[in-house]
Amino acid sequence: MGKLSDSIFALNKELVLDAVREGLNAGRDALDLIEECRAGLQKVGDEFERGNMFLMELLRSAQIFKEAAKLIAPKTKEKCQGKLVKGRVLLGTVSGDVHDLGKGIVSTLLECAGFEIIDLGVDVSQNDFVEGIRNHGPQVVGMSGLLTTSIPVMGKTVQAIEEAGLREKVKVIAGGGVVGEVDASKIKADFTTSNANEGIRVIERWLAERA
Amino acid sequence: MSETMTRYERLLAAWELREADRVPVAPINCYIIPYLEGLSIREMFLEPEKLARATASCLDICGDEVDPNITTLDHLSLFGKSGWDQATLDWRIWDDFPPKGNIPSFYEKTILEDYDDVMNRGFSTILFNRRIFKDVFRRSLSDFLYYEFEYPKIYSDVWRKFVEAYEIPLLMGGRACHPLDLLQYYRGINQLTEDIFERPEKVHEISELMIEYESVRAMEQAMIMGAGEVPGAEIIFFVNGGPPGMSPRIFDEFFWPYAKRAIDNFVKRGFRVRCHWDNDLTPHLKTMKHITDGLPKGKILLDLEKTDMKKAKEILGDRVCLLGNVPSAMLVYGTPEDVEKHCRKLIEDCAEGGGFVLSTECETPWDSKRENVRAIVEAAEKYGAY
Repeated sequence: MGKLSDSIFALNKELVLDAVREGLNAGRDALDLIEECRAGLQKVGDEFERGNMFLMELLRSAQIFKEAAKLIAPKTKEKCQGKLVKGRVLLGTVSGDVHDLGKGIVSTLLECAGFEIIDLGVDVSQNDFVEGIRNHGPQVVGMSGLLTTSIPVMGKTVQAIEEAGLREKVKVIAGGGVVGEVDASKIKADFTTSNANEGIRVIERWLAERA
Repeated sequence: MSETMTRYERLLAAWELREADRVPVAPINCYIIPYLEGLSIREMFLEPEKLARATASCLDICGDEVDPNITTLDHLSLFGKSGWDQATLDWRIWDDFPPKGNIPSFYEKTILEDYDDVMNRGFSTILFNRRIFKDVFRRSLSDFLYYEFEYPKIYSDVWRKFVEAYEIPLLMGGRACHPLDLLQYYRGINQLTEDIFERPEKVHEISELMIEYESVRAMEQAMIMGAGEVPGAEIIFFVNGGPPGMSPRIFDEFFWPYAKRAIDNFVKRGFRVRCHWDNDLTPHLKTMKHITDGLPKGKILLDLEKTDMKKAKEILGDRVCLLGNVPSAMLVYGTPEDVEKHCRKLIEDCAEGGGFVLSTECETPWDSKRENVRAIVEAAEKYGAY
């Protein structure tokens, strides 16, 4: 790994930002810088999966990545005009649940992984999910919920997507505190998880398969 | 099996790491009881006689202690008793139970904008913050004052009579929150994570303030509920619901010192402490070994949500009572057979030598199947004999 990815892995924001500035001043390719940052983020994710790093550290690495990306963004926009986006994910906490925490973490991680996020917020009705798909054309729908009562609502949301004739257009992932303990088939989703990083990996795999 | 101890004796034996006649059992039944008995959230919060009657009708799922729902007092009072309640809860909830209404839920948003402002001006900066859900302000000042100073006495009286009538202890008398629990809701997980890395001194400074504040309030509450007279009212329910995924460094620097200080304060003043700590704390069990340092035996119980109970027993079983942790999803979507199997395993892993109470992880979801909660109680009776 390079200095930049090492510094992300070390969760050292100042070093990361210094390395980005140096790189930009030296005329390094903006996309290379982004990819090197992402490699650091990936390493944190890998260590998280192995149980050697923790959720707050994963979140911190994503925060640092976003800061770095802000510095790099003007150059990347010039260069690739949105081609960096791996795919579009529509996120929302389902109707009756106002918990934002898990969705916020997933949103941050997805953004850092190169996805465009359409965040519908909390307490999102089935109809708003359906309209969200129609309006934004995501490849993936992510439903979030903390409460056990959210699980049947997730099932109803998928059903509404099905009834609107949109189910074939999207992969559906559900996540939250106890959601990972429920089989995806129970709510007609494609995957359920309580692990944010696992969710990101699954979404990346889906999008890679589609490509 | 023949039971030879009272419920309180059985629980005390577990706290003191002695074997009782059988493993005590105590699902944390908060919202499920009013739901099963057809109360609205409004009735649950404002009519304690109805809540006590509902609890009496659900003793088959309560086991050895009942939850007096002290949390409702916190939601109603004025000056930030476990302050997040007023600051972050959805106040539209009270006329119905779900699905028309909702149980109190957290809105994650940055309410506490400036640590220094709170340090200088106190909690009013949080409680009267414009970002708080506007329904809080629909209540009058006299209403707040009533629920702060008069209502707790009425509430306490109802539960005192309940304990006398049914000879079943309370699972708590007062309630305190860990500063990181409060900060997660005041700042949001994203902002709190940034604070811990970028302005740790501010997090420490406000944690010092909060831990004192919470401790004093909880002990006052327990005294009103009858600590020393009403069995179980001497227990402080010490909550940490967040943040999830603390690294050992963050746990040791930002969580543990304040947790230990609060526990020491409570125990040295004669209270018992029930640490209701959510998330998976398995990576921190070695630090938690110090929980009893300098304290007498039998005063601390660890009520754990996602922590590996077998490991907790191995590492902490010689010093604290453990309580837990039948999964919420199993109670809602599983069968009594699933629950029985899980409980049997928990008893095998944790009950040997005493020091274990069979229970739920966090609280019993309100939409749990009654027969599943009943299966927890029956498992203790079936497999828990010493």
